[in-house]
Amino acid sequence: MEEKEKEKKKKHRAKHSGPKAEKKRKRYLNDLGIGEEEDARKRNPKAFTVQSAVRMARTFHRTQDLKTKKHHIPVVDRTPLEPPPVVVVVVGPPKVGKSTLIKCLIKNFTRQKLVEIRGPVTIVSGKKRRLTIIECGCDINTMIDLAKVADLVLMLIDASFGFEMETFEFLNICQVHGFPKIMGVLTHLDTFKNNKQLKKTKKKLKHRFWTEVYPGAKLFYLSGMVHGEYQKQEIHNLGRFISVMKFRPLTWQTSHPYVLVDRMEDLTNPEDVRINPKCDRKVSVYGYLRGAHLKNKSQIHMPGVGDFTVSDVSFLPDPCALPEQQKKRSLSEKEKLIYAPLSGVGGIVYDKDAVYIDLGGSHAHENEEEGVRPNHELVQSLISTHSAIDVKMASSKVSLFMDSRPLGSEDVGQEFVMPKEERQIDLKTGRVRRKALFDEEEKKENDDAVSDEEDDQEEEEAMSEDGSDGDDEEDAEEESDEGEEMALGSAKRLKTEVAKEESMSELPAFADSEDDLEMSSEEEGKTAPEENEVEEDDYDEQGTYRNESSDSEFEAVSKGVADSEKYEIASEDREMRSQLSARSLKKKTVLTTDSGNCTAEEASESEVESLDEGDDEEQSHDELEAEVSNQKQFQHTWIKKADSSRQNKLEAVEAEDDDIENLLREEEEYEEKTDFSADTAGALKWKEDLTQKAAQAFLRQQQSTPNLRKLVYGTAVEDDEHESEDAGDELGGLFQVRRPDKESKEKANALDCSKFLIEKPQDWDLEEVMSSIKDCFVTGKWEDDKDAAKLLEEDELYGDFEDLETGVVHKGKPAAEGDESENEEEGNDGKKSKPEAEEEEKKKERLDKKRKLKEMFDAEYDEGDATYFDDLKEEMHKQAQLNRAEFEDQDDETRVQYEGFRPGMYVRIEIENVPCEFVLNFDPHYPIILGGLGNSEGNVGYVQLRLKKHRWYKKILKTRDPLILSLGWRRFQTIPMFYIEDHNGRHRLLKYTPQHMHCGATFWGPITPQGTGFLAVQSVSGTTPDFRIAATGVVLDLDKSITVVKKLKLTGFPFKIYKNTSFIKGMFNSQLEVAKFEGAAIRTVSGIRGQIKKALRAPAGAFRATFEDKLLMSDIVFVRTWYPVSIPKFYNPVTSLLKPAGEKDTWRGMKTTGQLRHERGIKLKQNKDSLYKPIVREKRHFNKLHIPKALQKALPFKNKPKNLEKKGKTPKDQWRPAVIREPHEKKISALLNALSTVNNYKIKKARVKHRQQVKEYLKVKQKEEEQKLKRQKEAKKKIYRILGQREKKMQKSSLKGSSEGEKDV
Amino acid sequence: MAGGGGSSSQCLSYAGCNFLRQRLVLATLSGRPLKIRKIRAREEDPGLRDFEASFIRLIDKVTNGSRIEINQTGTTLYYQPGLLYGGSLEHDCSPSRSIGYYLESLLCLAPFMKHPLKIVLRGVTNDQVDPSVDNLKATALPLLKKFGIDGEGLEIKINRRGMPPKGGGEILFACPVRKVLQPIQFTDPGKIKRIRGTAYSVRVSPQMANRMVESARGILNKFLPDIYIYTDHMKGVSSGKSPGFGMCLIAETINGTILSAELASNPQGQGAAVLPEELGQNCAKLLLEEIYRGGCVDSTNQSLVLLLMTLGQQDVSKVLLGPLSPYTIEFLRHLRSFFQIMFKIETKSPEEEHKGGEKVLMTCVGIGFSNLSKTIR
Repeated sequence: MEEKEKEKKKKHRAKHSGPKAEKKRKRYLNDLGIGEEEDARKRNPKAFTVQSAVRMARTFHRTQDLKTKKHHIPVVDRTPLEPPPVVVVVVGPPKVGKSTLIKCLIKNFTRQKLVEIRGPVTIVSGKKRRLTIIECGCDINTMIDLAKVADLVLMLIDASFGFEMETFEFLNICQVHGFPKIMGVLTHLDTFKNNKQLKKTKKKLKHRFWTEVYPGAKLFYLSGMVHGEYQKQEIHNLGRFISVMKFRPLTWQTSHPYVLVDRMEDLTNPEDVRINPKCDRKVSVYGYLRGAHLKNKSQIHMPGVGDFTVSDVSFLPDPCALPEQQKKRSLSEKEKLIYAPLSGVGGIVYDKDAVYIDLGGSHAHENEEEGVRPNHELVQSLISTHSAIDVKMASSKVSLFMDSRPLGSEDVGQEFVMPKEERQIDLKTGRVRRKALFDEEEKKENDDAVSDEEDDQEEEEAMSEDGSDGDDEEDAEEESDEGEEMALGSAKRLKTEVAKEESMSELPAFADSEDDLEMSSEEEGKTAPEENEVEEDDYDEQGTYRNESSDSEFEAVSKGVADSEKYEIASEDREMRSQLSARSLKKKTVLTTDSGNCTAEEASESEVESLDEGDDEEQSHDELEAEVSNQKQFQHTWIKKADSSRQNKLEAVEAEDDDIENLLREEEEYEEKTDFSADTAGALKWKEDLTQKAAQAFLRQQQSTPNLRKLVYGTAVEDDEHESEDAGDELGGLFQVRRPDKESKEKANALDCSKFLIEKPQDWDLEEVMSSIKDCFVTGKWEDDKDAAKLLEEDELYGDFEDLETGVVHKGKPAAEGDESENEEEGNDGKKSKPEAEEEEKKKERLDKKRKLKEMFDAEYDEGDATYFDDLKEEMHKQAQLNRAEFEDQDDETRVQYEGFRPGMYVRIEIENVPCEFVLNFDPHYPIILGGLGNSEGNVGYVQLRLKKHRWYKKILKTRDPLILSLGWRRFQTIPMFYIEDHNGRHRLLKYTPQHMHCGATFWGPITPQGTGFLAVQSVSGTTPDFRIAATGVVLDLDKSITVVKKLKLTGFPFKIYKNTSFIKGMFNSQLEVAKFEGAAIRTVSGIRGQIKKALRAPAGAFRATFEDKLLMSDIVFVRTWYPVSIPKFYNPVTSLLKPAGEKDTWRGMKTTGQLRHERGIKLKQNKDSLYKPIVREKRHFNKLHIPKALQKALPFKNKPKNLEKKGKTPKDQWRPAVIREPHEKKISALLNALSTVNNYKIKKARVKHRQQVKEYLKVKQKEEEQKLKRQKEAKKKIYRILGQREKKMQKSSLKGSSEGEKDV
Repeated sequence: MAGGGGSSSQCLSYAGCNFLRQRLVLATLSGRPLKIRKIRAREEDPGLRDFEASFIRLIDKVTNGSRIEINQTGTTLYYQPGLLYGGSLEHDCSPSRSIGYYLESLLCLAPFMKHPLKIVLRGVTNDQVDPSVDNLKATALPLLKKFGIDGEGLEIKINRRGMPPKGGGEILFACPVRKVLQPIQFTDPGKIKRIRGTAYSVRVSPQMANRMVESARGILNKFLPDIYIYTDHMKGVSSGKSPGFGMCLIAETINGTILSAELASNPQGQGAAVLPEELGQNCAKLLLEEIYRGGCVDSTNQSLVLLLMTLGQQDVSKVLLGPLSPYTIEFLRHLRSFFQIMFKIETKSPEEEHKGGEKVLMTCVGIGFSNLSKTIR
């Protein structure tokens, strides 16, 4: 048994990693005696000594290089204290699991389950972070738009399939528009059965991802689905990653305000829509402001719609606020908010002028499981009541209405932050009330409509408006019968409204605004003027927003009354009164124009109704009736009517207060003047009032700061006091505003001079006057903190701080505190009397001093490390702190005026003149973005780009073919012209983009700051398997003129040639033209260079030219000129959001000529000269040889031409036949030939050899001969000598005796 | 469809010829079209004056692609701004206003051109109405430097001095180009350490300048010993066409604040002759008055500093000014209508009594303006 177990037991495996292994290793090393010194440097110092100074320098350089490479240029951190939610864009090809991921993430953060996700979803993900998650479809328009606003991109990749084109396209889009953080998420990993395969794929995908993003980019693996969701732990981890991620600011995003819209409302007057369903709409959009500060009345661009001017901005309480206290470690369930109005989450939506309850569409409660929706009991209960009571809708409404009434009077527009649950209650009621009206009205119109339909409609009404927008479409799809009614949209709804009003005679059925009016008028009597104002504010906004014709007239009158009352009540409080009146006046003007908008009939109708209702306002009755009659008289143009109504109102009020009337008149005048723009209106408003009432207002407002502001910006100067016009010329010494007391016209035409003239110069000879500026000079008294002597003294004092100094309080602050501390200081001054305060101050002073010293020490100490980079960073940091601190203490209302709406605020933006298709074809799946434009970014001009065709795009791009560019916020189609810069800086036109090179491009379009990236696509419609991004690049230059030129060669022909001078014709048409080109370089095709000299008179346009050589008559002369290209002024914004739902990705702009030709089957008519023809070579014809007679004479007889001719005529029979060999013969002859050649060669060689031999032989022979001769010579010599001796002997002997001699011989 | 964009920004409309310069300058910088109506419509001599016409011509010269339409009587002006171009230019200013009239606006525009501006302006260099070239040279250029517009390219050079009525002066103004401006925090003017100045005289006795200097010193010496006033007597061609003399005084503080005052003699044939002593004294008193008003920027350049603050990065800029001049107040309103920018205006009374009058602390957040004309390579 034991043995068996032993066999079963695995062998022990020693650990190689982990703490235990580490410990063991350490012990082992300790035993060896090298335990502690793990560092090789310490263990073996000799190995690390300096061996080469050069090498060391190099390594040092390299480390420094690497270090500096990591630095980014420091930028001022402009993120607000409460940043907007982080935009998380989830992208990926279809069916990769985007929606599932979003749902899982939402569930992870909020414990709520969303069924359908439409539009952005904002959630609180942590104590300091919120997320706005949005899904990005595969439409390239959506991809482009969302890449511009994304902070973080979750890029989903189907691992079982690999990368798809969409992924790469999105990456490229991101690259161009600033690179947001990108995190890859691999899904569908559960499809891999083989583990090895899985690992391999993961690795492959990771490396590809890294090359695209950056090495080490985070890639997340979602291993598989459990019950249709990703695994909880993995999602949790992913959520952690997202919520701790840091983001680097992107240039475009930080310099432009933008809003990712999470809700949209149509504010158009329903009447206008009824009259013309296609009329331009007024919409309000909602969302968190991001990026930079947004100013009111600024220009914005809505990608996919167009350019607009913001007509109004207001900030709202944050619908998805961060938790207030931060002490706890985690969020409580209450704080885990979610806000997604387009998806219909949260149920209730608050607005400054309305409350909306979303009931989830007509069939929402049927097809949704219980508990799936976020559990807002109230909403649920509402739904249930709806389903229970189907016919007797009206009664239920009434009851609701009654409940709501006390609550409804509360102003929704006020900023209040309440717990969510509470809000539901009071706001729900308010909302229902508003909507009830709609329903009933609708009912009336569709008298014949079935009750079921009514129900449906009512439900719709009761929903939040955006919800209903979305659901409208759904309904249209689902219920074909109702679809017809819905087609007209809100226009029809309005009609129904009016009709319903008539049928319902009970009190509760009146329009809510009227009801408000009732209440407000009641209250007016009791409440203080401030409250009145508040009431009216609310009321007013409703009026303007709904713009119901019936109300406006009535409102105006009642307002007049209200005003008068106000004046009576608040007569004591002057300041307050003036402000109020100013406001009310403003409102009044708005209202009057409103009233002008409606047609007379309706006005009268409504007035009748209002008469029924408004019984409590007895005083105003008469006037009202008069007005009605008046109204009926004037049925011409709306302007006229507006005027009349204004006058009527004036009359009404007249009796009560003259002041008001005057003011109104002024207002009117002013209205007439300022017909240009809202801005001008603002600008002129103060002017009027100022000039007229300048002085008096001045004296009063002189002292305090806000009044100084009012003086400049004129918010408070519109008061009704114009009693005295005595100009105060000397006003407290600060402002000596001298304005002509006459009309403003005179001032408007005054001398334009920036000098600030002194009206009453002081007498600088007087001692006291002189002493007033004594301390402005270095010779004067210094402040304590700067005076050297004082500082020294203080330093001594510093030691014994226990000593209580008397009386003298040091005002001086350390310079570091600066001017900020002044106020504080003043505050301290007030407390001076108390000794404790004094001591406190002293203590503080000492502390400050200490701190200052420490700072100085720190600065000195750290000096060594401080690089330029550090200094720059420090500077930026300081600026950032100042930015934060400057407006911190002000309330949002004032703050907004100074710095604009700051990022992080939840804003409501009103936009006018929006195309109706934007509202009618609204699809929450497509993101709406509002991008703020900088100054003059709304203008158009010529934009120069550096462009490169994308290496993956298969075609090259052709000049003058329309191209869709995404630049800045915009997507637009334009016609670019490509060019390349020559060495001399000339921009030469190109016909096509180069293949692998940058080129320039110029187009006519919106001015966008230099350095902005762009991308180009050829079409945004449909899908192609190919890569869609055609080109990318950057803006280089903006201009109002064009620099692109193309070559133009003018040709001419010589008609007279002298030596080097020729007369050329055909190049120009007149002498004038020639004059323009005098001195220009010309050339012949053959390469002879020359110059244009002077025009000739004879053929028009001919000229004299000189060349470096003589021309031929056949030469072609040309001059090379450069002709500026005109760029088509074509700028066509891509209006993809205006397309009907479901067709939003089918936007087609201008087609290329090629496409058009292809579609219509038009063949291009070729230039005849460019066609290829068979080459026909003309037969060359030579002239006869002509020999001059003189030459003929000199020729020998046989060569004379006439003889030659004779001789040439040999008879045919004498011609020798040509021999044509047979192949065989040919072979033989060739062989023979070869043999003979060989033979010849041999013979030749032998001969040479023989010659050589002979030569040598002769040489030898000659030598022998010479030898022989030599020998003979010597022999002869010998003989002759002997003979000579003998003769001598003989002669001697003969002399002695001849006998002897004879003997010898 | 084509050209559907157009210039969609709203057109601003004003009445009257006053503040024409700031309106045109702001329209150019903001890129918004502008319409000015009723220019001297009720006067006997309606419409634009020659100096205004000359100014409009100058604006046309420094820009590219602007559209200027003036009706027949010259009472209505429509201006659609183009892009600032710059380059080497010449302009003959009308002698009815001094070069300062033109130069003030050029100072606002010059840093935002495509090419660095190098312009020769001809006309009256010093007169009694507008800030003189000497004054701008001494005050405006250091101010520009504070915003990061510096380098050797920045200069104003007086080649010839021209006095009214005939003028004949010539100056050279050169300014480098910047893409963005730095924000400033300029709230402590500091104490005045020295007073400098120029006493100039043309076509009169060179003694005049010395006489002015003497009298001015007499007053200023009571406050500060470090006074040096240069005398600048120009002769021959560089003396312009009319006689005259004048003085420009500069007070400089330890923090680099520059306050200035100036006076010029009456133009020839207009008004009574002015004694140089009197002029010197008056000018010195004007300087004291300016010191009394105080602030970090002198009253003439208030609008320039506010403009440059507005056009800064999206950061807080602060400056301490003396009382706002009417021109500045108007300018602030224009800034609001053109750039939607509002300044936080706080009154600051000096904590000690011997430091002049009340001051105004102006704070704003820049609009994040960037020079759209500048080419990048």
